[in-house]
Parts: sequence; C-alpha cells; structure tokens
Amino acid sequence: MATIVVNGVRREVPSPGDTPLLYVLRNDLELSGPQFGCGMAQCGSCSVLLDGKEIRSCITPLSAASGKEVTTLEGLGARWAQQKGLPKAEAERTLHPVQQAWIEEQTPLCGFCQNGMMIKATELLERVATPTVAQIKEAFTTSGPSAHLCRCGSYTAIIEAVQHAATIMAKAR
Amino acid sequence: MSMPNEKHVDVFGATLTRRGFVKAGGALCVGFGLAGRLPAATPKNTLDPTLPGSWIEIHPDNTILIRTGKSDFGQSTTFTAYRQIVAEELSVPFEAITTVVMGDTDRTPDGSGAFDFLGRGTPNIRKAAAYTYQALLDQASERLRVPRNELSTKDGVFSGRGKRISYGDLVKGRQLKLTIPVTGDLTNLMGLTVTGNPPMKPVSQYTVIGQSYKNSVTASKVAAREQWATDVRLPGLMHARMVHPKTLGSTLVSAGALDKTRFPNSQVIVKGNLVGVVAPTEWEAIRAAQQVAAATKWSEWKGLPGDANLFTHLRESSDWKATPVMKSDKTRGEVAPALANASKKLTATYQMPFMKHAPIGPTMAVADVQAGGEVHIYTHNQNPQALRGEIAQMLGITTDRIVVRSFAGPGHYGRSNGGNAGAEDEAVILSKAVGSPVRVQWMREEDFQWSTQSPAAFSDVEIALDANGKIAAYQVDHYMPAMQDDRPVGAILAGLPTMPAPNEKAEFIGSTANSLQDPWIYDGVPVLLERGHGTYQVGEKASPLGIGLRDHSMRTPGQFQQNFPRELAISEAAALAGADAIQFRIDHATEERAIGVLKAVREASGWQTRPSPANPVSTGDKPARGRGVSVMFRSGTYWACVCEIAVTPSTGAIQVEKYTVAVDPGIIVNPMQLKRQVEGGAVMGISHALLEEAKFDESAITARDWQTYPILKMADIPEIKVVLLNRPEVGSYGGGSEAANALAAPAIAAALFDATGKIARRLPLKADYVQTLLKA
Ligand code: FES
Ligand code: FES
Repeated sequence: MATIVVNGVRREVPSPGDTPLLYVLRNDLELSGPQFGCGMAQCGSCSVLLDGKEIRSCITPLSAASGKEVTTLEGLGARWAQQKGLPKAEAERTLHPVQQAWIEEQTPLCGFCQNGMMIKATELLERVATPTVAQIKEAFTTSGPSAHLCRCGSYTAIIEAVQHAATIMAKAR
Repeated sequence: MSMPNEKHVDVFGATLTRRGFVKAGGALCVGFGLAGRLPAATPKNTLDPTLPGSWIEIHPDNTILIRTGKSDFGQSTTFTAYRQIVAEELSVPFEAITTVVMGDTDRTPDGSGAFDFLGRGTPNIRKAAAYTYQALLDQASERLRVPRNELSTKDGVFSGRGKRISYGDLVKGRQLKLTIPVTGDLTNLMGLTVTGNPPMKPVSQYTVIGQSYKNSVTASKVAAREQWATDVRLPGLMHARMVHPKTLGSTLVSAGALDKTRFPNSQVIVKGNLVGVVAPTEWEAIRAAQQVAAATKWSEWKGLPGDANLFTHLRESSDWKATPVMKSDKTRGEVAPALANASKKLTATYQMPFMKHAPIGPTMAVADVQAGGEVHIYTHNQNPQALRGEIAQMLGITTDRIVVRSFAGPGHYGRSNGGNAGAEDEAVILSKAVGSPVRVQWMREEDFQWSTQSPAAFSDVEIALDANGKIAAYQVDHYMPAMQDDRPVGAILAGLPTMPAPNEKAEFIGSTANSLQDPWIYDGVPVLLERGHGTYQVGEKASPLGIGLRDHSMRTPGQFQQNFPRELAISEAAALAGADAIQFRIDHATEERAIGVLKAVREASGWQTRPSPANPVSTGDKPARGRGVSVMFRSGTYWACVCEIAVTPSTGAIQVEKYTVAVDPGIIVNPMQLKRQVEGGAVMGISHALLEEAKFDESAITARDWQTYPILKMADIPEIKVVLLNRPEVGSYGGGSEAANALAAPAIAAALFDATGKIARRLPLKADYVQTLLKA
C-alpha cells in the first residue's frame, strides 16, 4: 500500500508504484476529474496540480507523487477556500473562481478536455493575477509538456473564462 | 384495448386517455402510438408507450420532465434548446422543466443520432409539446367550464372568465396519457418521427425562445460532479485492452502467449481475428496487452494505395460505374453548348484528404453480458438505439434483450451517429467470453488507426463565363467513396454477423451513392449540372478482413467535401471575371437570406469591395495578407464567412488572423449557446483547413498521436467575430452545430490566392505544400 495526499486528504492506495497516477486517481480513488486522453503527455486531459504545478498524471508514476500534494478538479474549491481562509462550512459549497467563470462563460462544449483547462488556468492565475491574452495563449500552448488540446474548439471561450476568473479573484482580494 | 373507466378524447390526431382517478400523485404523460401497430408489439426494454412516461411528463407540483433519444455531445441542445422549446410550447417558465433524460434505450422514446437536433425546425419534442398543450387546454376548458378560445395561459396556469387552474392541479389525482402519432423505426439511423400537425404557438408570442439560458449540465461537468462514461464502475468489473491486427488487412497467424509470471491475473481472449487481454486492473491490462501484442503474429498485407497515390488511385483504379450517378434537383439547361461558347472558362480539380474525427478521448465502453443473456452496455454513443440493433445482430438475439445506457463523454463529431465508435461491440464480445462486466478502452494510437474516417474526395469543376462576366454554366462532378460504414469493427474481426459493407444496392444509409449534399445557392446561374459519383471504400475489398479504410460521416458530412470545391471555384470565377468575390456571389444568388448573410459578413468584416488578387506577393520572408469568403446553406441555416490571413511565402506558413461569420438560422433559440457552437466550429474548421490529413501507407493509417495528426492549438486561433441574424419571420429553427467547420477551408484558400495570386486546390494547406506552390 502506497500513501498519497490528494486534495488535502492522506489516502492509502493498492496500486504498485509504477502505476500512472491517472489510474490511481480514477480507479483506486474514484475521482472523475482527470480524464484519459492520450496517455502520452500530448493533450492535457489528465492534468492535476502536484505541489501547485500542472503535471500530466498519465505519465507520472504513483511513486513520484509520494510526499507531495496532489490537487484534482474535485479539490479546486477547497484549495481556493483555504487560500482565502474561508470557514469549513462555506468551503464545502465553494467553487474555485476558475470553475465559476467556466460556468458563467459557458466554456465547455463536450467538456472532456476541460479538466486540464481548468487545472492549467488555476496554475496560471496563482502565478499571474491578470494575464494578458498573449500570456494565456502561451500558458495553454507552450508552457507545459504539450499544448492543451480541445477538439471541440473552445479556445476562445477559455480565454474569456480565464479573464473572467481573474476578475473574480481580484474582487476577492 | 380499452379499460373500464377509460375515456378517450381526440386531440388533433393524438389521443388523450383518462384512466379513472388516483388517490395520490397523478400525471399527464405523453407516449406514442405507431400507426398500424399494437402496443403489444413494442419490444421489451424499450420505453413502453402504454406505460406512463415518455417524451413529456407533467407532475402535480407543476414540474416537468422531458425525455429524448438524442444524446447531447456538447451541442447543449437537449439541455437548453429542448427545454426552451418545450417551455415555450407549454407556456411554462424554463425552470419548470427540472429533469432531462436522454439517450438511454430503455428510458427514452425516439432514438436517432446526435445530429439535426432541431429537426429542420420542428424536432419531435416540439410537436410532442404542442400536442400536450392542446390536451391540457381541453382539460382546462372542461374543468373550468370555459370555452377553449376564452382561455389564456401564462406560467403554467390557464385563466378565463375569472377562473384559474394550474397544470399541476389539472393532473393532480388523475392518470392522463396522451398518445401521439409517430412513424419510423426505433433502431435505424433516423429513429422515430412524430407526425401530424398540432397547432403551434405563434412565434410572435415567444418569450423563452431567444434567451441565453445556461446549459444545465455545464455546472456538473465543471464541478467534477458529472458521471462520465469513463466513470462507470460495476461490481466485478474487468479492464481490457485490445490487440488489433498489424494492418487493416492482416489476419491472425498466432496469438501471443501471456507471461503468467508477470501477469498472473490476466487472460487472453481470441475470437477469429479479434484478440483482447482482460485483467482485474487497468495498469495490468495495459502492460499485459503490450506483452501479448509483441508476441502475436499477423499476416502481412499491402492493399492500400498509400496517401501519395491516393488521388491517382481514386481517379484511375476505383469503380465509379457500379454505383448510380446522383444528380441535384436543380440541374437545368444544356451544359455542353454553354461550356463550348464560354467567353472565359475555368476548369479545375479540387482534392480533399481523409480526416479523423479525433475525439479528445479514445473510444471506450463497459459491457455486461449477464448469465441469462441480457446485455447491458454503458457508453457514450451518438445513436444508442442503432447500437442496440447492431449488437442484437452480432449476437443473434432480439433487441429486447439489450439495454444501452448513455453517459457524457468526448465529442464524436458524427463518428458514432450510426451506432458505434469502436469499443462497444468489443466490450460485449469480451464480457460474454469472461462472464463478467468488461471495460474496453482504446489507446490513443488505436483510436487513430482503427476508427473510421471522413472520406477523401475530389471534384472536377467547369465554369463558363459570358461576355459580361456572369456565370453562363456551372458543371461539377463530385467523386467520393462511401461515407457511412456502420459495421462494428470488433464484430468484423471476430467473424460475427454485421450489416453488409456499403454497397451500390443498399438504399440511403449504407449505400455507396454520393448524393448531393451542398444545396446550390446561385439560382441566377442559367445552366447547371451537379453530379455525385460513388464507389467502395479504399482497400476494403482487397482486405482479407473486409476492412481497409472505413469511412464515417463527420461534422458537415459530404457537404464539406462538396462545398470546398464549389466555393473556391466561385472565388476563382469571380477573379476571372474581374469581380469582387462577395458582390459576384450576391449577383448570382436570388434567395434573400443567402444575400443577407453575404451582406452581413461583408459589413462585419470591413471587407473592401475589389477584385482578387490586389497586390499579390509570393516570395520573401514578409507576411503577405489576403482575404476570402465562403457561403453555405445547411439544416435550415444560411452561413457566410470571411477569413483574413497572413502567409509567409518563404515558409508557406499561414496564420488566420480574423474569422468573421454571419449566421441566419431563422429563429435563434439560444444566442449564447449558438455563439459558442459557432466559435467551436470555426476553430475546428481552421484546423481542418490548415493541418488535418489522415496519412496512410500501403498497410495502415500512419497517424498515431497528436504529433502525427496535429490539430489547432490555442496560440494559433484568430480573432473570431460571430454575427447572429435572428429572423423570426422564417418560422423555424435552423441547426448551428455543423457548417462552421466547413466554411474556413474555401475562404482561407481564396485568401491565399488574394495574398499571393496562387491557387491551392488541395487540402490541407500545410506549410510545405503552400511553400512548394508559391515557388512554382
Ligand atoms: S492523457 Fe495525459 S496528456 Fe493526454
Ligand atoms: S470541450 Fe470537447 S474537447 Fe474540449
């Protein structure tokens, strides 16, 4: 049994250490945020935050996550609540500003890629409070192991949602 | 069959049945009656029309539930437009429709695929709602003793002569069943269609349609609360990976033995040429399948022409004779003399490659073949009822033993609208073999290499211009292999029964006929001949498996392949005539809505009226700029698009800088959702135009990942401007999820010509092709 910390909770998992983190999250922990898109770090569907940095869980072995903090789409709300010091009751009802903006802007089409898009957006906005369009494009295209791909073509809606999320976060400051 | 205490009332051809009174609850439920068929003939595990519950249910608490056989793949239609349409016809608030059930074969009424949601302006759900409203009106009139024509409705309450009653109160304590007329076949591509002509609400009274309601499923997807098909977990679930043949024509020589020391809990299943590996965990299934694949031997096969020879093969070595030639119904005049007497003439051939649907997640499905032979399939599929029919045929059982449940998943863009995307039948075969539920997940490489593709095509165009620079005659011959192969690939590999491969004898679906998909827009042209030539799929007959390059309709199917040649040729003809490309189109169109979108896109894009090219530059490192236009009519909607590009001649790289599109769907149901659909289509279309081609050698598709099949990235998108033209007077709802992806290619190619003076008649417009073209 390996132990990992996911969304602030210490979890025991039965998978061997060479298992890609994606299968551990989906099958052992029954999380539904990260998705299998390519298994080759080429699309971003499987992204999670590892100590606040966006990684591709499809190529990251379980062993590489030990001792580090994994945040999935499920944990974004709590992450924001903690950053803002919100009381526990409120924290449970909270969506991360990125998620709020994704709903406000009606960003997803099929939505399958959007886990990675929201993870990437969170990473970006934790680093750059009000990114320019060029910075957003750079983050989603060249900053990681590959571009974050959306086959449905929601890129415009993503850019608008990132900007909207930045506004929500600025107001909460 | 009539029960005691039952009362039947005719409602514009539908029948309202009142079955006594009940102590608690009560509802009005809307079912269907098949003309000439008894309810007893309704197969089991299909929503029984005699049971309460079908398209629409009205509850005593004034909430409403709707059901549709259509699965939403990101179009948002079932969660927004369908709710708006029902709310509008029933005159209830949007929020009154609290539940949407879709796609499950045992819980939804009508079947058909995830396309044409708005059903040429009158989807099933609209008529079902219209019938329901009339039945409610009858009931209210009877209960309040006020004539129908003196009753008015607002927010789910009838009132007249100072009396009022809500819909909830009308159904409280009663069992009302409305049976509406339908035709069609549940498990074929089109499913059932509601017939008859119930009165519909006048468009002038619309209050719900036209508003930007949010998609109710978005919040659950964004908050990770959605249950995706990928999340389906059943007790005893086993994970599987397939070992697909080495080529598209290889047969199995010997299946590799499993290394039991490394994979003690895995097993290899072999059935004909189908090889799968089943294991208790996903990671073991992946590794065991890799080990087995390395040890499995397949026959060699080289029966494909290879992409470099594709168009020579299509023109010279394909059988275009066996399949009847299709002609458009707008054919008129004698082309031969008109072409012979041309003052100026354009003769050109256009070539479109194979493209992949390329869903962002590879196909997967969970199947549970139970001990009694009942089959449950949990998947993400554009046509669950058709899948049910295909699995029944494969197993030699009746459809009543099969249930398909639908869940959210990646967009398929048409790939599964004929009932399968790849993994479903394989999951069934493996589950039956191992006796437990099995989840088949294809890997990325398999999804490129073993799925169907959008067929390649070419078109020969001849245009005659008269002395005034007007089109005197237009002739086109479109050539394309069959587009709709719905045979499940696992069934083919396993040697189990399937429908036949597309052939010239089949009617409609499954035919090799190449029908005219791109409605002619230039009715001012006096002489017109449009022909479609069809043939078998490339390599299929040569493949010992009967597989080869299987094709399937893809977003804007067939019309993509026919609109690119037409619209680029029209831009070329305009240049030949020394005319402005938009004005030239307007001068040849007669339909006011077509002219309307052209004028709208001209204004919105800031188009300068002038002939193309203005100052062509085809050398150097400095970007040359140009603009092009295209227009299309599809599913009740008129579209026109302008693309502005920058091309660097020395590298051939094209950047689309601005994409402006004008859309006239008639009545706009939901502006926000329509805008998002159009933006998505625009991005996909630029990707098609600049990047997409499914490469193949003599044996197989060689595209294997996102590097060998690149799609557009965020950094490469242009500024996108969407102009929505709401035209309530049209009276119908046009589709918005297709067309946008086809508009970009001819507009970009015309823009390249405008910038450089060189015409690229082959897609995609990749940098190396454009570079070579500009050097020539
Ligand atoms: S699934 Fe991990 S990057 Fe594609
Ligand atoms: S929303 Fe469908 S792939 Fe991005």
